[in-house]
Amino acid sequence: MFAVKAKKSKTKLRHGVKGKQLRFFGAQGVDELVSICMTLAQELWVVKERLATVEATAAKKGVILGDDIEGYAFTPEQRAIVEDEKKKFIDRVFFTLREQSEALSAGQAEPDGPKVP
Amino acid sequence: MTENVNHDLKVDYSRDELARQHFVSGMRTYVLNSLSSNMRTVYDNKVAPNFKKKKNRAPKTAPEIHKALKSETIFKFYSSMRCNTQEMVWRSVIPGIERESEELVAKTKILSQSTQKANGTLTVDPKLSIPRYTAELDVHLMPGNYHEEHMPDDVSQGAIYDNGLSVFAMGFLGERMDDITQSVSTYFTKRYPDFKPKAILDMGCTLGHSTLPWKERYPQAEVTGIDVGAPSVRYAHGRAQSYGVSTHFAQKDAEHTGFADESFDVIYSCMFLHEIPKKNIRAIFKEAYRMLKPGGVMLHYELPPNSMLSAYDSFYLDWDSFYNKEPFYKAFRDSDPQEECVAAGFKKGKCFQYVAPSLNFYGDAAIAKAVADAKLDNKGENHMGRLVDGVQWFTFGAWK
Repeated sequence: MFAVKAKKSKTKLRHGVKGKQLRFFGAQGVDELVSICMTLAQELWVVKERLATVEATAAKKGVILGDDIEGYAFTPEQRAIVEDEKKKFIDRVFFTLREQSEALSAGQAEPDGPKVP
Repeated sequence: MTENVNHDLKVDYSRDELARQHFVSGMRTYVLNSLSSNMRTVYDNKVAPNFKKKKNRAPKTAPEIHKALKSETIFKFYSSMRCNTQEMVWRSVIPGIERESEELVAKTKILSQSTQKANGTLTVDPKLSIPRYTAELDVHLMPGNYHEEHMPDDVSQGAIYDNGLSVFAMGFLGERMDDITQSVSTYFTKRYPDFKPKAILDMGCTLGHSTLPWKERYPQAEVTGIDVGAPSVRYAHGRAQSYGVSTHFAQKDAEHTGFADESFDVIYSCMFLHEIPKKNIRAIFKEAYRMLKPGGVMLHYELPPNSMLSAYDSFYLDWDSFYNKEPFYKAFRDSDPQEECVAAGFKKGKCFQYVAPSLNFYGDAAIAKAVADAKLDNKGENHMGRLVDGVQWFTFGAWK
């Protein structure tokens, strides 16, 4: 369960950036939400890539072994599929950021709806 | 991806850690391609027309574009996600290095002391004072920068930069992430075939990826890389020894190297100057002039100056100066490289600039063709080609 590498060192490195934190959104907490969403997306990707490996390993061996999963290397063909899936996955998660430019490219004219009270 | 780190200091990442790195590479592609092109669409179709309506003219400068775009949602997401992706680059490689940091120190020591494959030297100066522009910054959002030390003989920051750059570059910079200097030095040797340097210095060498290609071009020359970061030069030396390239590395400040007058034929830097305040660049150029032999050459690979780019492209590149902890980047790109060379003592007629096509992408023949075209175009040593055409590296310098 959970293939964790044994820690061989007691050294602590710094993971965060020092100095002024970069903030872009006016509303409080939105920058942090973006950061959390991205890390969630990353962790979801880790699961998806691991699952792809499980499937590939299972298909190859007929049995699932932790060590096999750790050491499995995708064939170039499999890697190409994974890369393509990764691109599509990211496009899906962040679709909302594409929407505005697509709308602008498609033309902005549309009939007015009722006025919001 | 750190699978591309292919020497003896390679870190053994778990499958999930590698997947995290794969994600970051994919995310970078998304931000730099999709999001940046969406931002351009919003600029062209909304921000620029609104600006024109208000001011009766199109935006003329990078700061005008920056000011007009920064309240747009797409700019905020592009910026926020680019910063996050940049931080994730380093965070995706740090855990493995943290886990193996003591082992990396031991491995580096063995490589440094071994003369089996190569016999370059390593000089560390514990008394060197780290310049403020390095000491106080986590440059390009890299925790610990090039110099922080966490234990005796530490190499962690070298390893973080190497593995992080590998995730960042996504194979784009070639197998040893040295495409820039491979291309620039190949162009240089073809352009000046009779020039045979005996001593070459690479300033701000970090992990040595910009140093080693010079030894490949000129195997008879003594090649030295210097950097203010002790972990960087230790790591660079171990890496060079692992590749079997005899190159010297020393912890030195490029402003005050202690090298004798007229001791080098080539003084080079790669992606170094934009991380340095202008007054320090001036001091470094003067130091380079002092160290150069008569007939020697100083050359630098850098991002192209703002004067060579459109206002939008300048805004796009200047972004890093505001949001990527590279505060000196814009001032450097606003300056005129030739003027800076002349201010250091070089003669105006001895200055040059060129763009080298990428060796990794286009091959040796493309560089040979670029050199041949440059000789034919009657622009002397100012052959710029078109910066926007594909992967090309801007280089400038001067002969002494």
